[in-house]
Amino acid sequence: MPFFQRIVAVTYTFSRRKALSPIIQLSGVTKQYGGFRALDDAAVRVEPGITGLLGPNGSGKSTLIKAILGLVRSQQGSGTVLGLPWPEQVREIRDLVGYLPEDDCYIAGLTGIEAVAFMANLSGLPRVEGLRRAHEITDFCDIGEEKYRPVESYSTGMRQKLKFAQALVHDPPFLILDEPTTGLDPDQREAMLRRIRTLANHHGKSILLSTHILPDVKAVCDQVIILARGQVRVIDSLHNLSKPTEPTLNVLVHGESGAFLSGLSEAGHEVVSHADGTLKIAVFGTDQVSTIWDLAATTGTSIRRLVPAQNSLEEIFFQAVSTAEAN
Amino acid sequence: MPIHDLGYRSWQGKRTLRLLRPLFVARSGITLIWRRPLIKLMLMVAWLPIIVPAGGIFAFEYSTTDPDLRRFVIQILSGPMQRPDLGIQVVTDPTAARHDVWSTLILGFFRVPQLFAMVLLIGLIAPLLISYDLRSKAYLQYFSRPLSPGEYIVGKSAVIWFFLTMIATVPALTLYLLGVLLSPELSVVSTTWDIPLRILAASFVLIVPTTTLAIGYSSCTSENRYASFAWFATWVMGSVAYQILTNIPRMGRRDTVPIDPDRWRLLSPYHTLGKVESWVFGLDTSDGAVWPAMLVLLAITVIGTIFVHRRLIARLSV
Repeated sequence: MPFFQRIVAVTYTFSRRKALSPIIQLSGVTKQYGGFRALDDAAVRVEPGITGLLGPNGSGKSTLIKAILGLVRSQQGSGTVLGLPWPEQVREIRDLVGYLPEDDCYIAGLTGIEAVAFMANLSGLPRVEGLRRAHEITDFCDIGEEKYRPVESYSTGMRQKLKFAQALVHDPPFLILDEPTTGLDPDQREAMLRRIRTLANHHGKSILLSTHILPDVKAVCDQVIILARGQVRVIDSLHNLSKPTEPTLNVLVHGESGAFLSGLSEAGHEVVSHADGTLKIAVFGTDQVSTIWDLAATTGTSIRRLVPAQNSLEEIFFQAVSTAEAN
Repeated sequence: MPIHDLGYRSWQGKRTLRLLRPLFVARSGITLIWRRPLIKLMLMVAWLPIIVPAGGIFAFEYSTTDPDLRRFVIQILSGPMQRPDLGIQVVTDPTAARHDVWSTLILGFFRVPQLFAMVLLIGLIAPLLISYDLRSKAYLQYFSRPLSPGEYIVGKSAVIWFFLTMIATVPALTLYLLGVLLSPELSVVSTTWDIPLRILAASFVLIVPTTTLAIGYSSCTSENRYASFAWFATWVMGSVAYQILTNIPRMGRRDTVPIDPDRWRLLSPYHTLGKVESWVFGLDTSDGAVWPAMLVLLAITVIGTIFVHRRLIARLSV
């Protein structure tokens, strides 16, 4: 796509997202299985764009997804999904959502193309249109000539791509992808993430991506929801979460740094040395960056890198989960 | 990469009515079952028995002019059909006997060859419907679409309804049509016009409870062989139990003991269905009332549907 067209497409996508917000807004969602509370008064807000849904095993991710789709009936909770009242209109919601289940599921006996066309028909596409669309989407998902093989003979990765095609065939504005990269080799995983990005950035799709793979979230997501013990612990944009609570700089120096460190301490900066040689320097404001450069010049220290420090997603995740467990 | 790879394109078009979507479930199921050569063979074989009652109707219609055919009809009615009274009426008033003779022959077609074909056919196809979906977790795909468990059950049941209609209703209606065409004059329609309606009613009685029972077994397990076993066991054990319990009073006795066919009837699905079908055709000769059998069939239908519905909901909650 030419550069100018891409700019227009991205601008259009963002303006469309703004008009659609929020995609999901639920509160007080509670689901109890016997004595086990899978969702405990969960409040979820999903903005347009790509949202990562994180949480340890048994945290309630799949239950939340099934509750959104109306596959399980929650005991409490209300809200809207794509502007439709939830849970009153779950079937209308399902018409507008593409769902890729985590489980290995397929309709035995059908070929790949038949399976995708069948899902298109179930979503209301007429027969011929469903078949035409199925061919188009299987090409987009790189299923190739294997679409003419029975689905039982597919590898795990192929089935994953097939489920993605099935989720996408009716062109839903919102996709729920439960572990979409499971079973894919590194190349295919990268291709899958690229497709997800393309759909969000160029076709205005909003996506809820449930996964255990944190690098996938970092690679594609704009927003993160962390669930633990059935409750939403963290819900914010990845950009905001990455910012440390206090301004901090990561500085990598070349050669001797003793004088530089002494100077920093004298100036009242708290400095932590990491094993890789990086110095984590607490600053009082962004205007103090010039002070750091001046000090380096004074002490004859060579700075190879100076970047604002960011919280890692791993840290955020483990902190949220450990807080939940402590409670 | 395909030569004409278009990338991702949006789709905007008119969607089909949501009420019609179970039809897609049914069509997909029929297509899958139809691919099995054994099913095609069974469907063809299931049509063959039509020759016998068609020959009977032909013989009856020409019995007024041909004494040999008359003797043949009386022998059939008195022997295999167990209606000697009708045999006598064929001689005394053949016009009045026409309706009952046709009905008896068509009921015989329903009761014997088609019922056996039905048991065999459902035993082969029904377990493949829900058991397979449970095993491959396909229900997640169905219910991720705007499809309710009720619509899913209707769609799956419609697969069996289609095949049963093909082996029972359509051949029976064809048989009636053949009867009309083989008669010396078309005026026979005026005395037999209600038989096609009775065929439809009997088909309903045959198809709906049996389908629900089969779907119920199919939803019990993800192993289709167990569902097949349970299906066949129900019919075989029921019939065997009925025969034994009905004939026990006769055992070891030289004098003739009258059989009470209604006492143990509800144990056997075959005989329960037979009672209601006979009533539908106006040929029920046994003393017992028909409503207990109808209640049993209704209970099977209602309880079976609720059971399958609950099984599906339970699966989704896992």
